[in-house]
Order: sequence, then structure tokens, then C-alpha cells
Amino acid sequence: MASNALQYNDLTPAQPLDKATLNKMVWRSCNLQGSFNYERMQANGWLYSILPGLEKIHTNKEDLAISMQHNLEFFNTHPFLVTFVMGIVLSLEQQKADINTIRAVRVAAMGPLGGIGDAIFWFTLVPITAGITANMAIGGNIMGPILFLVIFNAVQFLVRFWLMNWSYALGTKAIELLTKNAKEFTRAASMLGVFIVGALTSNYGGTTINLTIENGESPIVIQSILDGVLPKMIPLFLTLLLYFLLKKKGWTPVACIALLLVIGIVGAIPFIGLF
Amino acid sequence: MTFSAIQIILVFIVAFIVAIDQFDFLESLYQPIVTGAVIGAILGDLQTGLIVGGTYQLMTIGNMPVGGAQPPNAVIGGIMATVFAISSGLEPTAAVGLAVPFALIGQYMVTLLFTVMSPLMSLSDKYAEKAEPKGIVTINWLAMAALGLLFAVVCLAGLFGGSALGTTLSNFADKYQWVMNGLSAAGGMMRFVGFAILLRMMLSNDLWGIYFAGFALATVIGYVDGLGGSALLLIAFVGIAIALYDFQTRTAMKSAGLGAGSTGGDEDGI
Repeated sequence: MASNALQYNDLTPAQPLDKATLNKMVWRSCNLQGSFNYERMQANGWLYSILPGLEKIHTNKEDLAISMQHNLEFFNTHPFLVTFVMGIVLSLEQQKADINTIRAVRVAAMGPLGGIGDAIFWFTLVPITAGITANMAIGGNIMGPILFLVIFNAVQFLVRFWLMNWSYALGTKAIELLTKNAKEFTRAASMLGVFIVGALTSNYGGTTINLTIENGESPIVIQSILDGVLPKMIPLFLTLLLYFLLKKKGWTPVACIALLLVIGIVGAIPFIGLF
Repeated sequence: MTFSAIQIILVFIVAFIVAIDQFDFLESLYQPIVTGAVIGAILGDLQTGLIVGGTYQLMTIGNMPVGGAQPPNAVIGGIMATVFAISSGLEPTAAVGLAVPFALIGQYMVTLLFTVMSPLMSLSDKYAEKAEPKGIVTINWLAMAALGLLFAVVCLAGLFGGSALGTTLSNFADKYQWVMNGLSAAGGMMRFVGFAILLRMMLSNDLWGIYFAGFALATVIGYVDGLGGSALLLIAFVGIAIALYDFQTRTAMKSAGLGAGSTGGDEDGI
């Protein structure tokens, strides 16, 4: 469970991260999705990727624990563009920014990258290179797969390394302007973070009910009635319910997951047919 | 066609590596165009491997894992299609068809693993609490190894059981389709736990309106065709505008000497 700390104990900015550490984290970012799961998606892989930097920044063990805990919260972004978020977040960690600032910037940066990355990689680079090289392969040319791998990975690693260095420098520069108004910045960043989580609730929320009531010629579809009241009502309701259980009732995330598993499996029993 | 021990071991290793590669490593070795050629070379027929791999690749181009949805798994599909094309001398397109049940099993394996990994995050939490980076690293590698092993075993089963096993498997899967539906539904809901954890720390009482505003904007944009990819970017623009406006107002108030009293109350909640 996330710690409740709002600030690090040691607020002296750490030494800037050296190039070798940044590059090490770029390589680690390849395994961002290693422990992907439905609850927090890339969170564990995200923490795994930035750990070399965090260990250098937080020499105080308590602070390292605080940092590791909040970096284990829900995280999901485009795997090839993740180093952009890493650079910004690490520059904030290095400056020992407020935890909520770091959290909010992380959330705000990860969301939009998904669509951008999909557009660049899955809708452009892969169809073009794979389209051409697949036809070479069908013609029996061994250069097909080789060319595909070379082009794809050249672009991928250029993007990964460049984004890491660029966004780390950007974050370091921006923070100097913002330390003067740190409190106001934390508030503004939290607003942005909460706004984005609200958006994610709808954008990532695909849960629908698959229930129809027989009614002769015009069967009643429950989901379309719900959509008539408020689209994405179920994702919103579930998020608020889980927030209530976690915050007010002191449930653990595991208990929440167990609850959802029961709802999912029971709801899917053919006799009930909720999903 | 019978396979030699070395061929079986090599297929196992390739399946293990590319299964992990579909989400990690280079995220490109797993593409059918590559696995087709590699498996073809292992089974002694590079030409057929290239052709089947290329055919399967063209099929999957419109079927990318966009936004985390899981299409029938192209990794196992590509490997098994090549195996069937070479072992039974089938046409590439027929081989691809026979591989589909295995691709479906692959998709189920992924769903299962992503579900099982969710409660394991509490173990990661414990390592974080104790500031033990090694635990986080180990969990990441173990999860990757588990995925590799699951896929390698399915491919091995396919190697021995042939396409007959595929039919049996898909019949079995059809029968228990509802269990997988339930798991997928539960999996789809688990992200809400992640959101709730984020909100637990970020959401002070005066920001509820902002949360609902974000939800409302995303829902509206969600109904506009053609904005699927750019939705979150557009939403971020609006969010940044709101946050920036708040920031500028408050810093202006502070420099005018008005802020001290009026902002104190809010800040306690952040």
C-alpha cells in the first residue's frame, strides 16, 4: 500500500544523474512490461526501470522506501516512449519535489503518450516496414526478417535514448523555475493528475453489462439504458466504490482484487450472464 | 515428420524467448516474420518458414495489441503455423488456420498470467516498504520467465500433439468460455483498483469537481469517432490549461500579498 508521506525526509537535492546511470535505465526500460498485470499494469516494471536512478538519488533508506512505494502505484504508458516519463520523474526525484507533485506529473505524462506511441509505432512504422519486408519474405528472401529487425530497432532505440536525455534535461531546467512557487505548483500538478485520473476512469474503463430482458419484439438491453443515464457509469461507480473501500474502510488492494474476481466469475456464470 | 531432440529443445528456447519478447526485450523478435524464419531454419526448411512467416505477418498487421487489448496471440500462432506447414507440408494459409486454436490458448495464458500477477503486487509493496530493490527486480524477471515457460510448454505440446491437439484444446476452451469471460471481466475491472489507489493520495476534498470534469470530458471525447488515439492528448491540453490557470492565479495572488490567508486551508488537504 502506498505510504502517506507527502515529502522526503532529506530535502537536499541529490547530485544530477550521470549519463551511465541514465543509459542503464534506458536498457532496463525494455522490460517495462515484465510484470504487467491488470491492477497496476506496468507499475512494477516501471519501478524496476528507474531503480538505478532512485538508488543514487535516495541515499537515505527511509526516503528510498517512500519513493519505491509511490512509484509502485498504477502506471501505464507506451512502452517505446516510457523514457520520456522516466526523465521528467527522475529530475523531480533528484530535486526532492513534493511526493504529490511527482505522482501527478507521472500520471499526467503517461496518459497522452499511449496514443502518440500507437500512432508512431503500431500504425505507421510496423505496417510500413513489416508490409514491405513480409513481401520480401514471401518471395523467399532472408533479408525480409533481418531488414525488419534492423529498421524497427534502430528507430526504437534512437527514440528511447533521445527521449531519456532530452526529458531529464528539460525537467531539471523547469524545476529551477518552479521551486520558488513549490506549493502552488504541487496544487496545480495535483489538479492535473486528478483530472487525468478522471479521464482514465472513462477512457480505460471498458466494463459493460451484457444483460438483456426478453420483451417480445423489443428486448430491453440493460447497458443501453445505463448509457442513456450516464455513459461509463459502471467504471465510475466501481472506481468510487474502490476508493471508498480503500480510503474509508481500510481495505487492502488484494481484498479489492478478490472482490472483483468474485464479481467477474460469478457474473459470468452462464445462468447469470452478466458479462 | 518426427523432430530430433535438438530441434525440440531449440523450438522450446525460441518459444520461451519470443514469448517474453512480445512485451519486453526488443519487442520485435516475436513478429511472425522473424519467428517464421527462425523456426523454419531450426526445422530444416528456411524457405517455407519465410513464406509462412510473411503470410502470417501480413495477416496480423491490422491486428496490433493497441491499448492493451489481447488479440489471438500472434506469437504462438506464428510458431505453430510454421511447424504445421513444414511437418505436414500444408499450404501457408491452411497452416495459419490450423494455428489459430493455439493462438487462442496463448491469449488465455496471457489473461491468466496478468490476473495472477495482480495480487502479487502486494508482495512488491512489501519490498518497497522495506526499500529492497532486489525484490522488485526478482519479481519482474520471474514474471517474464513464467510467461516464457507457459508459451514454451504450449508450443511443445503442439509439436507433439499436432493440429489434432489444437482442435481438442479449442473445444475444451469453448466449453469453459464463460470462465475466461469472467476472468477477462475481472481483469478489466482491476485497473479501477489502481485508479483508486492514485486517488487515495491525490484527491483532496476540493478537487472532486476536477475529477468529474476529467471523467466527463473523456466520456464526451470517447463518443467522437476518429479521436480514439488522440483522446488523452486532447484531454491533457484541457487539464494543463486548468492547472496552469490555477497556478498563475495563485502565484499572482501570493506576489500581491493576498495569498497567505486564503490558500492556507486548501493546502492542508494536498
